[in-house]
Amino acid sequence: MPHALLLKYPGTNCDAETERALIAAGFSTQVQPIATALPEHVRKAQLVVFSGGFSYGDYVMSGRLAQLETERFLGDALHKHFANGGFLFGICNGFQILTKLGILPKASLIWNKSERFECMWDKLVKVAPNSPYTTYLPAEFELPSAHAEGRLVCEPGDAQKYLEGGCVALQYADNHNGSELRIAGLQDPSGRAMGLMPHPERFLRPRHHYDPDWAGDPDWGWGYYFFKGAFDALK
Amino acid sequence: MATYRTIPVRELSEAELTRLSQDMKLSLSTEDMLVVQQIFCEIGREPTDVELEVIAQTWSEHCKHRIFAATVTHTTDAGTEEIHSMYKTFIQRPSKEIMAKKPGFVLSCFVDNAGFIRLDDRLSVCLKAETHNHPSAIEPYAGANTGLGGVIRDILGAGKGAKPIANLDVFCFGAPDTPQEMVEGHNIIHPLGIMRGVVHGVRDYGNRMGIPTTSGAIQFDPTYIYNPLVFCGTAGVIPQTDIAKEMKPGLAVVVIGGRTGKDGLHGATFSSAAMGEASHVEDQTAVQIGNPIEEKKTLDVILEARERGLIEFVTDCGAGGFSSAAGEMLSETGGNLYLERAPLKETNMLSWQIFLSESQERMVLAVKPENLGELQRLADTFQTEMTVLGESDDSGVLRVWHNGELVCELDNSKLHDAPTKKLTSVFKASPALTGVTLDDSHLTADLKQLLGDFAIVSREPIIREYDHEVQGNTVLKPLAGASADAPQDASVIDIDGSEKLMSLALAILPEWGKTDPYAMGTGTVDETVRQLVLAGTNPEKIALLDNFCMGNPECPTELGRIVECAKGIREAALAYGAPYVSGKDSFYNYFETEDGPVNIPVTFLCSGFGVVEEQEHVHGMSLRRNDSVIFIVGNTEDEMGGSVYARVKGVKDCKVPQTDCAKNFSVYKTYYDKALTQGLVLSAHDLSEGGLAVAAAEFAFSGKGGLTLDLDKLPTVGGWKNLAVPCFAESTGRFLVEVDADLADDFEAAMAGTPCARIGSATAGDELVITAGGAPVVQAKIADLKNIWKHGLTPYY
Repeated sequence: MPHALLLKYPGTNCDAETERALIAAGFSTQVQPIATALPEHVRKAQLVVFSGGFSYGDYVMSGRLAQLETERFLGDALHKHFANGGFLFGICNGFQILTKLGILPKASLIWNKSERFECMWDKLVKVAPNSPYTTYLPAEFELPSAHAEGRLVCEPGDAQKYLEGGCVALQYADNHNGSELRIAGLQDPSGRAMGLMPHPERFLRPRHHYDPDWAGDPDWGWGYYFFKGAFDALK
Repeated sequence: MATYRTIPVRELSEAELTRLSQDMKLSLSTEDMLVVQQIFCEIGREPTDVELEVIAQTWSEHCKHRIFAATVTHTTDAGTEEIHSMYKTFIQRPSKEIMAKKPGFVLSCFVDNAGFIRLDDRLSVCLKAETHNHPSAIEPYAGANTGLGGVIRDILGAGKGAKPIANLDVFCFGAPDTPQEMVEGHNIIHPLGIMRGVVHGVRDYGNRMGIPTTSGAIQFDPTYIYNPLVFCGTAGVIPQTDIAKEMKPGLAVVVIGGRTGKDGLHGATFSSAAMGEASHVEDQTAVQIGNPIEEKKTLDVILEARERGLIEFVTDCGAGGFSSAAGEMLSETGGNLYLERAPLKETNMLSWQIFLSESQERMVLAVKPENLGELQRLADTFQTEMTVLGESDDSGVLRVWHNGELVCELDNSKLHDAPTKKLTSVFKASPALTGVTLDDSHLTADLKQLLGDFAIVSREPIIREYDHEVQGNTVLKPLAGASADAPQDASVIDIDGSEKLMSLALAILPEWGKTDPYAMGTGTVDETVRQLVLAGTNPEKIALLDNFCMGNPECPTELGRIVECAKGIREAALAYGAPYVSGKDSFYNYFETEDGPVNIPVTFLCSGFGVVEEQEHVHGMSLRRNDSVIFIVGNTEDEMGGSVYARVKGVKDCKVPQTDCAKNFSVYKTYYDKALTQGLVLSAHDLSEGGLAVAAAEFAFSGKGGLTLDLDKLPTVGGWKNLAVPCFAESTGRFLVEVDADLADDFEAAMAGTPCARIGSATAGDELVITAGGAPVVQAKIADLKNIWKHGLTPYY
């Protein structure tokens, strides 16, 4: 059975619902506080997950302190995991952390163009065809978002290169946070490492949709299929 | 350097005692100081400053609720009566009566940080709401920030540590467009600054804690300019077996979380006094500084420690800091605390400052000595600080040591008997006219005016700043409809590990209390219960919280209003069978200006929570189809008093809606038993501020259809002389129900015997049309109405 390791930092707060989604998809799971995390924990996992929250409060650049602490406790274990074919998945603050760790293409997630925290549902468009996480998703779908620092910016020309190079996993249909080229999710070219701002774990079941008449899958919300896709690719 | 001093009181005169209380900012009255003097004459020595501070905090209004415990001589047109404790008479006694009739429903109340009710056979849910008014007036961001942080800790300290699962936030402000010249006095923050600071404070704490903010309300009234109100509430869940906790001798007393500093000195006593201009300068240190990540780490430790069975007792450090936490823990067993062990934010702190500081993010636990090692490993794992402060024993006396010196030695049993206050109150009913002449020739324009009024406009810009979906369990959300921007007044939370769900709702109607506080009491409870039932709650499984705020309780007419309101909520609780399981009150919300004091109106917040038996009972409060039938339940009467319409139009002295609680409850029961749980309902929306026309517009803001309603069919007993009444009156007990056309006859039959009528239908059109006598009296494009409503706060927020 594929095993998922979820790294928990002071301020990580979506670990319970993310673990629930991983279990629903079939993973065995371990939620590991970073202060006691060891390279062995990473070696046992096929998937390493960084869930949402405010690691260390995000008072400096979001994800920056988590990156430094991860390197302090785990050294290069995550990079080895990735080089050996492992999967990495970052949601919201986890996306910010994965970006800082240098596993995803170089980019920064800065304050939304509204300069506010915004909790709202986003319409998303699937872009990269090879992402294991989006295999089962339709071309367009919705997920809830909740972030203040989700506006993706890159060095000049990079966003276009990512789009052409198969590194853009998801785009917003209506780009509320002002991201370059409407990028909502990035991946490495193989698709094994992915980060996105919206929260798939919050749309596990149809009842999590705001509209009681949501006409989608009768058993699962769209968010479930991210975890299911990763599970099937790893099993 | 000595860290404490002895303060002679035994030989002081009355005047000297009073001056001592003022000089030390103890907020103790002359009568209180005389009792203090007597206590130390009996002990046979002079007190230390630590001891005086402990007594001041223990006896403060904030901690002891002495107004609600006072003996009140209350005079109305009907005569004079003596009320021995409003709390016992109007809140505790009726609640106990209800609990006696519903054994096993309320699992704990009045003793712990929050009241617990049974969710299912294994789990229990709880709710607590607090105010943080004075700090929010002085420093809105930090005040609201720590207000929410404090109530979250209440839940963490409830039982052996409940898991916080939802937050609610209710604010009362001056209007954001208040002209600057209306804000008199130096250093007073404009209502817009208060609103932004408070919202950001709540946002930054709640979001970082990872607790969804699912419910809330905002009231705007000029009387709140100087004394804004900030209510913060948190709901929690805990296994029933972890509710009971007990102190024993021989336990280690441990503090986990943040360090102790000079922030938050005298918070408990400061919030028990009136505000003046000087407060904005002098009382700065009374406001604490919040650090939500510190609290999140503490939460992680406590929940894990509770699951591992490491916690014997836990409580939060709130008002009064270590003093109140240790008082709560060690007052029966007794024990020793060593202040030099407390981790400090700064050096040179005096004994009383360490003992009384209200620095945030601290929880105090009692654990068996053999479990200290495992608890320390947990604290290390979650990267938070843990310190053993002392231990419990069987002496019955709390001894506080600092660097080897005994700085406080008090027999707590003596301290908890603060002298009973004696107060007088008066209430004179207003004339409460009905049938006043209103202009009903522009009802469409009136509806637009109401939809654009601050009382009604969409709170969406604020709601979106709060994460209302974290934890992935918010089933009924604050925003609904096809584009997730239509209003939804109650919320429903999925509970992990249970088939059942928890619902939350609240109501606040301070305008009603200005003329009829009794009707405000009954009406507020009615609205809370009604919203809960519409959200799918079993009406037999509802519990309530009472939160009162008022100005100067020593002013008999002000106190008279709160007495009448308390009578109303007593009657309502008994009629709905919904006990008060927790509550809080905040007094002295008045401000001294050159023109005399500005009192806030008597404000009563009723929060309710209950059990939703199954997911299928949750339908939402937003129109779902364009071919359904619309029913109204409840009578509409000529009761324009306190309505938003009356406020907007300047109509005075109208009758405030009167609530027949027993009758309403039987209607709700019928609706729940025979319609809602039988699958006859698509959705339902309560009628509250703005009346039928506003409720119908809000219903249709789902974007799924138009609405046509006929006023001629509205059930009524007394009728009306004027069409503004059926459109905008805020009679209680009413709601709109959307029913599938094929089930309309079944619904009508199910509701037989109740005031229920088929008043219209959803349409495929894009208009709201309300007719009377066959002709439209309100007609407008729903998109136009929604535009007014949706963007009302946007320019200010």
